[in-house]
Amino acid sequence: MIGSIVLSLALLSSLIAMVMFFLNYRGYKNTLNYGRIAYHAMAMLVIVGAALLWHAILTHSYEYKYVYDYSSNDLSLGFLLSTFWGGQEGSFMLWLLLSSIIGIVLQSYSSKRGDLEPRVMAVFTLATTFLLVMVSPMFKNPFAFIWADPTFVDIKNVNSAMLSLPFLQNFIYSDGQTKQQFVKMTADLHASLASAGISVNQFIVNGKGLNPQLLNFWMQIHPPILFTGFSMSTVPFAFAMAAMMKNDYRDWVKQSFPWVLAGAGILGLGIMLGGYWAYEMLGWGGYWAWDPVENSSLIPWIIGVASVHTLLVQRKSQSKGGVGKFAKTNLILCLLTYILVLYATFLTRSGVLGDASVHSFVDPGMLVYLFLVIFISAFILLGFGMLIYRWKDLSKNIETEESLLSRELALFTAAVVLCASAIIVFVGTSAPLVSHAVETTFYNEMQLPIVIIIGLLNGLSLLLKWKHSKGKDLLKKSVLPISATLLFTIIVSVFAGITNLMVILMILAISFSLFVNLEIAVKIIRGNMKMLGAYVAHIGIAVLVLGIIGSAIYSQEQDIDLIKGQTKEAFGYKMTFTGWSPIENGKKYEFNIHMNKGGDEYFINPVMYIASYNNSLMREPAIKVGLTKDLYISPVGYDEGNGETGKPVSLAVGQNIEYEGYQIQYESFDRPDVTKMTSGGDIEMGPKLVVSKDGKTYNVEPKIKGSMGNFTYVPAEIKGANLKIEIKKIDPTSEKADLVVSKLVEDTPKAPPKEVLSIQASIKPFISLVWIGVLIMVLGFFVSVGRRLKESLI
Amino acid sequence: MKSKYLFGGTIIVIFLGLMAYLFTQSNIQYESNFQKVMTKDRTVKATGSWVKDKNYEINKEKRTFSFYLQDENGTEMKVIYNGTIPNNFESARSVVVTGKYENGYFHAKDILTKCPSKYEGENVKTSSL
Repeated sequence: MIGSIVLSLALLSSLIAMVMFFLNYRGYKNTLNYGRIAYHAMAMLVIVGAALLWHAILTHSYEYKYVYDYSSNDLSLGFLLSTFWGGQEGSFMLWLLLSSIIGIVLQSYSSKRGDLEPRVMAVFTLATTFLLVMVSPMFKNPFAFIWADPTFVDIKNVNSAMLSLPFLQNFIYSDGQTKQQFVKMTADLHASLASAGISVNQFIVNGKGLNPQLLNFWMQIHPPILFTGFSMSTVPFAFAMAAMMKNDYRDWVKQSFPWVLAGAGILGLGIMLGGYWAYEMLGWGGYWAWDPVENSSLIPWIIGVASVHTLLVQRKSQSKGGVGKFAKTNLILCLLTYILVLYATFLTRSGVLGDASVHSFVDPGMLVYLFLVIFISAFILLGFGMLIYRWKDLSKNIETEESLLSRELALFTAAVVLCASAIIVFVGTSAPLVSHAVETTFYNEMQLPIVIIIGLLNGLSLLLKWKHSKGKDLLKKSVLPISATLLFTIIVSVFAGITNLMVILMILAISFSLFVNLEIAVKIIRGNMKMLGAYVAHIGIAVLVLGIIGSAIYSQEQDIDLIKGQTKEAFGYKMTFTGWSPIENGKKYEFNIHMNKGGDEYFINPVMYIASYNNSLMREPAIKVGLTKDLYISPVGYDEGNGETGKPVSLAVGQNIEYEGYQIQYESFDRPDVTKMTSGGDIEMGPKLVVSKDGKTYNVEPKIKGSMGNFTYVPAEIKGANLKIEIKKIDPTSEKADLVVSKLVEDTPKAPPKEVLSIQASIKPFISLVWIGVLIMVLGFFVSVGRRLKESLI
Repeated sequence: MKSKYLFGGTIIVIFLGLMAYLFTQSNIQYESNFQKVMTKDRTVKATGSWVKDKNYEINKEKRTFSFYLQDENGTEMKVIYNGTIPNNFESARSVVVTGKYENGYFHAKDILTKCPSKYEGENVKTSSL
């Protein structure tokens, strides 16, 4: 209750702030202070709201639907706190919380830069207002009570002492298929409980819990960092709007630059953390699947990076006064960054990608869908409407001709290529909206030439001077990096035996970028370290791409069945499955594999378990991390060796199944003689089956024989078909038969039962470079923020 | 000025053409009607629900995983996947498989499992204790 009130008050404050800031921009003098007060009030209320949600989670208040849906009693503190962003309501709350805090910094920042504050904050508070509407009682309210919309609560989560309550019987339901029982939590039940003096918190004592795949450190930090990146993208949008509101396109460039850089750095880090989680947790051995949800956050990042480069050109060209080049481009790119973030939100939360992505969440309902459409449309109309309105004024700029050999043109081309890359991802990602999908080859084949072009452009742009370079000078400067590039490419290609031309070109292009940047970086280290940002970031990207080439293109995999005690060799590693042991209080099992490589001995322990969350087999890989390669062991299955080797089937009368090419049809049920049953005599019953293949037919009937209460199961054996059919159980009422079909005589003589651990072992060359590259790149972004922050005040 | 736009324009046209071509090459359509799936001769993404009654089979030697999928009209189709059973298959209701229907089976090269919308009203049959 109080949570909803707090958020509603926050919404009110946000609206007031927005109006006040807007009025101040229009010239009303006293409104600025009111705007500031209202904004800080909103931020405080949001923080209180977030604290209340965390409090509800920590105290296991299952009266809140959100707490019930995503947390449970058995979670440790760290994971419990992260359930905050386990579902849509919470992740919107997180986005709102981070945006509010960023707004506090933005307000202070913009207040120190002329009349920037009211314009920027008016737009920013529009964004926070929309987010607050999203978490309001109308839509995705994290404080909604569990009985507001009828919710089926698993009976195991209900206080067992209360199950005998008389009025409860009307609310108990059972699922026809799984036989699980539920209590339907409705407003009526709530009223009945209340009049019996029972609070919902006493009634519901445990929650559904979180998917165990999310109970991982990387999943704890990936959403907050990613959402910080999303929240940061609001800022360039606000700055672009502010510039258009004042019709002044000069100062916003240097003022927004540190924000654009920080946002892109954080967002990039957030995206890669998701990839790291996938690698470490999911077991398929990769970190990027071109999954639509992954892609949707990549698109705004690419646009953001493109904008960094065009903003740089505009900044540089302002040195002689005036607005500078690419004024329109920069406005468009900064508007697009946030709009694409909203589009990403729309794709992931609206349910339109339901059949396309592992990430896609349950359909949120028509109302929320419509609101998301309104949200994104509002900002598209606002941003581009304003742009069209100001187009004439923007076109008054005289575009000076840039020479072909200039850094300006190279950077512009780079931005265009980056946008092309973003368009490719956008098209492939949006395809499911029109019931189409693309294979990952679509992305890989199109991005490959783009990476090559970007690598070459990057190196070239740094060798070129601003405005104009003389051909001769350019050649002289490039001798060192070109030689280093050729040498490196030849060595790597020969050493690794690379024959694929595209790959060689990629290595060539990216090492060219690497060496150009390295040379400059080395020169700068002796001087002003603050200037290192761009070069470090580019070096990071080069390292990242090299890591991608190694791990994505040259990884090797092998499926191995490890018999306990027997050593097998793969990739130069001698592996022996030694046994398994329970971990984490018996919730999971680790399977111990002894590894020996050239005398180096250690254990690698992949994990498997049945999760109580969804009754499914869960698997976690084990990774031996190395600088030049990772050894990746993914558990596939475990066979105790004494289990049935047959195929279990469940048939109703008239149904048939297929086994080893044979059609097995359940013709009829041979009923036991009822009179004999009641008199205690011997009875027989069984499914009458017709087994056929290629015209040959066999009529068989496996039987259950009963004599004086003792039952014996007699399997049917068909020598001609080499089949054996046994009954596991029959339901005489439904006549449904659970059978096991197997081969009568095994092809290979039956060996004594042995434990077998099936794994897939892979070598991932240079995958560490992927993570290291990203970290270096992010570092570069932040060094640049430091440099540009100072410049923004001049 | 003009030559710059001509140059840029040509590049854009080439780029768009290339993208359109690759899109059609790697394009996969979603298909929820299995009759159509069984007659189509190209890769599709078939959507349906897993027939729990018919269980699933894991063939260790051939390293395949097979099960039955049912579409909205009730048409059933056997699916064989060259790989391991996905992590949350047991609790999955909706499944999307990518592949082609050939020789009586749907040969899947990708499986996407979706957990059921947890007991939201219609899925639960009513009965009293």
